[in-house]
Amino acid sequence: MITKKVQCPKCGQIFTASGKPGNIVRTTCPSCSLTGQVIFEKVISSEISGKDFAIEVINLRKEYGSLVAVNNISFSVRKGEVFAFLGPNGAGKTTTVEMMESIRQPTAGAIKILGKDISTSFSEVKEKIGVLPQEFHSFERLTVRETLEFFSNLFKKRANIDEIIKAMDLKDKENTLYMNLSGGLKQRVGVAISLVNDPEIVFLDEPTTGLDPKARREVWEVISSLRNKGKTVFLTTHYMEEAEYLADCIIIIHKGNIIAQGSLNELINEYGQGHILHIKNCKTPDAVDVLRDNGFNANKEHNGDIAIKINYKERVLEVLSILSHEAVDYDSIDIRRSNLEEVFLQLTGAHLSEEG
Amino acid sequence: MRPKVIWASFVADFKSFFRSKATLFWTLLFPVMLILMFGAIFSGIGETEYELVVIDFDNSDMSQTFINILDDTPIIKTEVKEIDDNHILQYIKDNNIKRLILIPQGFEQSVAMATIDEDAVANISFYFDQSEQQSNSIIRSVISSVVTNINMNISGGKDIIKINDVETITGEFGFIDFFLPGMIGFTIMQTCIYGSLERNTKFKKDGILRKLLTTPITRSEWFFSKMFFQLILSFLSAALIIVIGIVVYGININVNIWMILIIIGTNFLFTGMGMVISRFVKDEDSAGMAGGVVTFPMMFLAGTFFALEQMPEFLQIVARFLPLFYVNEGLRASMIYLKTDDAIFYTAIVLIFAVFFFASGLVLTKWKED
Repeated sequence: MITKKVQCPKCGQIFTASGKPGNIVRTTCPSCSLTGQVIFEKVISSEISGKDFAIEVINLRKEYGSLVAVNNISFSVRKGEVFAFLGPNGAGKTTTVEMMESIRQPTAGAIKILGKDISTSFSEVKEKIGVLPQEFHSFERLTVRETLEFFSNLFKKRANIDEIIKAMDLKDKENTLYMNLSGGLKQRVGVAISLVNDPEIVFLDEPTTGLDPKARREVWEVISSLRNKGKTVFLTTHYMEEAEYLADCIIIIHKGNIIAQGSLNELINEYGQGHILHIKNCKTPDAVDVLRDNGFNANKEHNGDIAIKINYKERVLEVLSILSHEAVDYDSIDIRRSNLEEVFLQLTGAHLSEEG
Repeated sequence: MRPKVIWASFVADFKSFFRSKATLFWTLLFPVMLILMFGAIFSGIGETEYELVVIDFDNSDMSQTFINILDDTPIIKTEVKEIDDNHILQYIKDNNIKRLILIPQGFEQSVAMATIDEDAVANISFYFDQSEQQSNSIIRSVISSVVTNINMNISGGKDIIKINDVETITGEFGFIDFFLPGMIGFTIMQTCIYGSLERNTKFKKDGILRKLLTTPITRSEWFFSKMFFQLILSFLSAALIIVIGIVVYGININVNIWMILIIIGTNFLFTGMGMVISRFVKDEDSAGMAGGVVTFPMMFLAGTFFALEQMPEFLQIVARFLPLFYVNEGLRASMIYLKTDDAIFYTAIVLIFAVFFFASGLVLTKWKED
């Protein structure tokens, strides 16, 4: 059990709350009685430093004058996993990742990468990480191969450039000037650059922002291949689909605070609405009433479809049985699982896309 | 510092430079074009009509006829001047006259005498500035043909009128001698300031500096590689300008330690200045404008194209606050005029400016974000 100081967002009162690492505890402000959740992150102390962790962030804080961009966040990233840092623009993602890359100086807190405190050992850490900064554009008039060779020469440990070119599917473009590449290829080269020193951890800061869906997919495949090679990938993104597709573990950050963390399933189970069964183009007027009479949470949607919240997949068969028994007329049905958008909506009251 | 890293960065710069047609043009071809263009304008090449000062001590019908015939040629425009005494060389020097015809007193009589006396001739003198060889040789040939025609008309071919050539020393050094070192200074200033601005604004915007921060390259390795490349480029550019000067204009250029030190100092000076400017601009566009605000006045006020003496006095004072003025004067003193004391003085000033601006640039340039 650990204790954490909490500041009430309504009246500003500071009080303490207790919980176990990984718990989310409901607590009430002793001053104004506002009730809310307090997250006890899985890593909250530098003492919990294990060999399994590639990255440990402890009470990290960044202030710009009176603005708190990152508010005492703590988390850890296991080796070999794709870790997504998800949040709308301005949430504090890039500030956090740039502090982890030693580009920005934290106001407070500690960051350990591969067990090394980066405030004292970053020059050692540099050899073991690969970074794709946000909105990165390389030297315009170098070819893909020359670009990779340039960055490779900066490191002691060097990966085989031919293998990177092959793995990133850049063979056809290796002699093309960077300036003549498409947006998707540029990002692929950016990822390739981050691999020239055969790093243990790859930081990718919004690698698909501004790309069309096809190019985004291409970059996703590249990132997936990094996981298959055993690399730890720290990915910041404001695309929920990207986090859903790629991440083993997701942190949702909002206004500088971590508001949720866990695997996709954990987040959806914790904050989502489970599964929604849609009955398309239902022509039976009292179908909603029939379903409600049978204990289902059914609602008529704007387009005439019926949406039924299903907590357990076994209940789908019950719904189908009722529809058949009551001779409800409809075109088709589909079942959709909750997604991160709904999780974000549940947690913040706003859509992720709107915030961005 | 690791030579391998510096070399990798140098090679990357070298390839990028030679693949950019615009950069190649502005860095290497544009200065050559300017030299050819300004050289042609101010050295007389391409002139269609040349001014020729005439001093007529004879004031006779014959001398007037001679002047009129010269004036009627499409190339020469005479300007008759009167002077009180015979100190013609002093007059030429004081008035910076490039070419002059002197018709002596008694010219008409001499012509008349020569028609009857086999040994008599009527002399006129052609004074010309030896630094203006090309234009003066054209005028000399026109004057010769005019004289030949007159001789033919008067005597059927006998040399009655004879031209005496007198070389003057008003222009020991011509415009191109003045202009070429200025062009070297100007070109280095441009490439260093804009190169520095690009590195500190475009590379910052493109995330290249942020990327480099996460690699083992050090700031000193990065700056050293950039300065190394910039120096090679500056010497290449200076060599090209010098070759043009020698081949096209036949000027004498002295390569010495002071010239080399000034070029090195100029690189650090203007690279540092670019770093200082880029600290106060937000993006590439404003960097370009800020670069123009600094380089344009220096281009015209620091004695690159025009000698300071031709400018109003207050602008001459302004020029002495501009680093490019000391670069230009230093290069002229060391390369052309061979004034060692002046060369040492200007080299020292350029190096002081270089230390000041480069140190300021290093202090003000931030790789890390706030």
